[in-house]
Amino acid sequence: MRIPVALILALLALSLYGCQPNRNSDSKQLTLAINSGVEGDALKQAAKDYEAQTGVHINIAEFPYANLFEKELIDLTARTGAYDLIMLDDPWFPKFASQQLLTDLGPLLKTKGLNGPDEDFVKTSIALCREPYETGTLHALPYVGNSQLLFYRKDLFDKHSLKEPATWDEALAAAKTISEQETNGAPGGGKVYGYVMRAAQGNAAVADFMPIFWAFGGEMFDANGRPSVNSPEGIAALKFMLELGKYTPPGYASFNADEVGAHLLQGTAAMSINWPAWISSFNDPSKSKVIGKMQFTTLPGARNPGRAEIGNWLIAIPRDARNKEAAVDFLLWATRAEQMKLSALRGNPPTRRSLFTDAELVAKFPAYPAQLRSLESSRPRPRTALWNEIENVFGIYLSKANSGELSPDDAMNQANAEIAKILERGK
Amino acid sequence: MGFRYRPWGVGSDRTLAYLLVTPAVFVLLALSIYPLIHSVSLSLQVNSGGAVNWSLANFTRLLSDQFFLAALGHTLVYAVSALSLEFFIGLGLAVLLNRQIRGRGFFRATLLVPMMLPTVVVGVVWRLMLNPNFGAVNGTLKGAGVDTTALTWTSSPGLAMLSIIAVDVWQWTPFMFLILLAGLQAIPQEPYEAALIDGSSAWQTFIHVTLPLLKPAILVALLLRTMDLLRVFDQVFILTEGGPGFATETISLYIYRTAFRFSDFGYAAAMSFVLLVITNVISSFYIRVLQSREAR
Repeated sequence: MRIPVALILALLALSLYGCQPNRNSDSKQLTLAINSGVEGDALKQAAKDYEAQTGVHINIAEFPYANLFEKELIDLTARTGAYDLIMLDDPWFPKFASQQLLTDLGPLLKTKGLNGPDEDFVKTSIALCREPYETGTLHALPYVGNSQLLFYRKDLFDKHSLKEPATWDEALAAAKTISEQETNGAPGGGKVYGYVMRAAQGNAAVADFMPIFWAFGGEMFDANGRPSVNSPEGIAALKFMLELGKYTPPGYASFNADEVGAHLLQGTAAMSINWPAWISSFNDPSKSKVIGKMQFTTLPGARNPGRAEIGNWLIAIPRDARNKEAAVDFLLWATRAEQMKLSALRGNPPTRRSLFTDAELVAKFPAYPAQLRSLESSRPRPRTALWNEIENVFGIYLSKANSGELSPDDAMNQANAEIAKILERGK
Repeated sequence: MGFRYRPWGVGSDRTLAYLLVTPAVFVLLALSIYPLIHSVSLSLQVNSGGAVNWSLANFTRLLSDQFFLAALGHTLVYAVSALSLEFFIGLGLAVLLNRQIRGRGFFRATLLVPMMLPTVVVGVVWRLMLNPNFGAVNGTLKGAGVDTTALTWTSSPGLAMLSIIAVDVWQWTPFMFLILLAGLQAIPQEPYEAALIDGSSAWQTFIHVTLPLLKPAILVALLLRTMDLLRVFDQVFILTEGGPGFATETISLYIYRTAFRFSDFGYAAAMSFVLLVITNVISSFYIRVLQSREAR
C-alpha cells in the first residue's frame, strides 16, 4: 500500500505547487495588479499595446476596489513577489511606503539616464509619490489625477441670479434659495434640493467633509502630531456641514456616491462636492436629465482658500518584484505624455500639466481648466500609515452627527479621543 | 465484530479504511484545524513597532473597545429579533400549509423563492427599494397617503436596524418554514387521533401534541439560523455598511474591517475567537436541550 500513499502525497504536493504564484523569472513577462474600473481598464489597454509593441507578456490581476488594498497588502507583506507593478490609491501609499514595501525608484530612473520624475507631472501629484510627503524618496508615479470639484447647476444659479460660490457662506445661501424656491423644479416634478452630500460612515463622509473642515481652518493633527479635530474650527466646520444638511435630501446620513450621483443626474439636487469621474455622465442622455446644465469649478473657501482633497491612482513597483528592470520600462512608458493622453481619452484625468492644457483634450473635456486649478491647489488626506483606521472612526462620528445621533461638539470630542487611541496603539 | 470481508488477508481492510479517510483528514486538517490553530496563535500576538509580542493584550483590549461592545450588542439584537420573527412566522406558515388547502403546492413553491436568491442580490434589491427618495417602499406608502419624510429606513439610526432585520426575515423565514413543515409531516396521525378521542381542543392538541413532537425540527432550525445570524455579513454590508454612524455594525463587519482595512489580524482573530465561543455556547445549549428530550 506504500505506492498509493506516496502517490497521494505527490499529487498533493503538485497541487500545492500549482497554487504558488508564477515563479517564472523570464524578463519578457510582467504581472500587474489593477483595480477593475475605468482607471484599471486604461492601464489594461495600455498593457496590450505594450505587449504588441515590445513582445513583453503582461499578466493582469484585476480586483474590485474594495479588495485591491487587502490583496496587495497581503502579497507585499508576505513578500511573494507575485506582482511586478501595482496600482494603488494614494491614501494607501503611506502604509505601503512606510513599511518599506515599495521599490525606491530613484536608482532605477538613474539606470535609465533620468535624474528624477518628469517636470511635467503636476507637483501635488508627484508629491504624493514621495515618502515622506513631497520631500522624500520616490516610490511611485502618478497615473490618474483626480481631485474634488464643486458641481453646480448653472441654469438654476442663473435663474435665481446667484453667482458661482467662492465661499461656503455663498454656497449655503445659494442652497437655501434653491431649496426654498424650486419646490417643484425637478425634471419629473418635485423638489430640487440646494445641496447633496455623502455622510455614510467611512470614506464617504470624510471625503465630503475635509474640504469644509480645511476651509474653516480645521486640522486633523496639531503641530505636535496630536489629533485636533475637536478644535473650535473643526466643530464650526461640522456645524456648517449640518447647516448644509438642511438643504440636502433626507436620509443623506447613509448616502454614498451612487445616491449623490442619482440626485444630480435626476435633477433633484443642485450642488455637490464630487469627483471628476462623474462629469461625463451628465451629458449621457440615457442617464442624465440635466444635459448641458452642470458646471464644474474649484471648491469654495472660508477662513482659508478652498482646497480639494486629492485622489490619485499611483503605479508602484513592489520591493520584492522579480522583474524590476522590465517593470520600470513599462512604468515610464505608460506614464509618458502620449500614453497618458490615451488614458485621458478613455476617461481618466491625467497627472501631467501639458495634457490638462492640450487643445484636443480640453475640447473634449471642458472641465480640464477647473480640474487643473483644483488639482494644483489640492491637499492630500493626512499622511499616516494609520489612515484607514482613522478615516473609519472619523467617518462614524461625522455620520452620527449628521444622522442626529450626536451633537457636533460630542461627535468631534469623541472622534478626537478615538483617533488619539488609534495613534497610541500604532506607536 | 461479526462478518468481515477480507479479500487481501488479515488487517488489509484496516489499511484500506485508513487510506480512504486520508483525503478527508487532510482536507479537515488544512481547512479547519490549521486555520483554527493559526488564528488562536494570531490572536495572542501584538504587533508593536515591527516586533511581535506574545500577550493577552488583544483580549483585554476587547473589554475596553466601545466599538466591539456596540457591535456585539447589535449582533445580539439582530440575531434575537430576526430569529424570533422568523420562527413564529415560519411556524405559522408551516402549520397553515400542512393542511389540505387549495393551491398548497403553489404557495409552498412561491414561499421558497426569497431563500433561493443570492444574499448579495437580495441586499442590492432591498437597498434600492428602501431608498428614501426613489425607492419602491416609500413610493408605495406615498401612494397610499402616508407621510414618508421621516421614513428614511437605512439612513436613520432608529430604522436602520429594523430595516436589516426585516430583510433577513423576508429572506430566511422560508428556511424556517421548510424545516418545520418537514417536521410536521413526519408526525404520525395516531397521537392526533388519541387527542381527538380524549376531547382535546385544537389549541390543546397543538401545545401538547404538535409542539413536543416537532421539537427536534424546531431545534435544528433554530440552531442553524442562530449560527447564520451571529455571523451575518453580506446583507448588512450591502444594505448599510454598518451605518449610519455604526448603528448597524455587526461583529463580522467589524472583524472584516479590522483585519482587511486596518490590517490588524491579531485583534481580528481575537474577536473571531470570542464570536466562536459565543456561537459554541449557544449551540451546545440547543444540542443539550435536544438530547435531553431524546433521552427521556
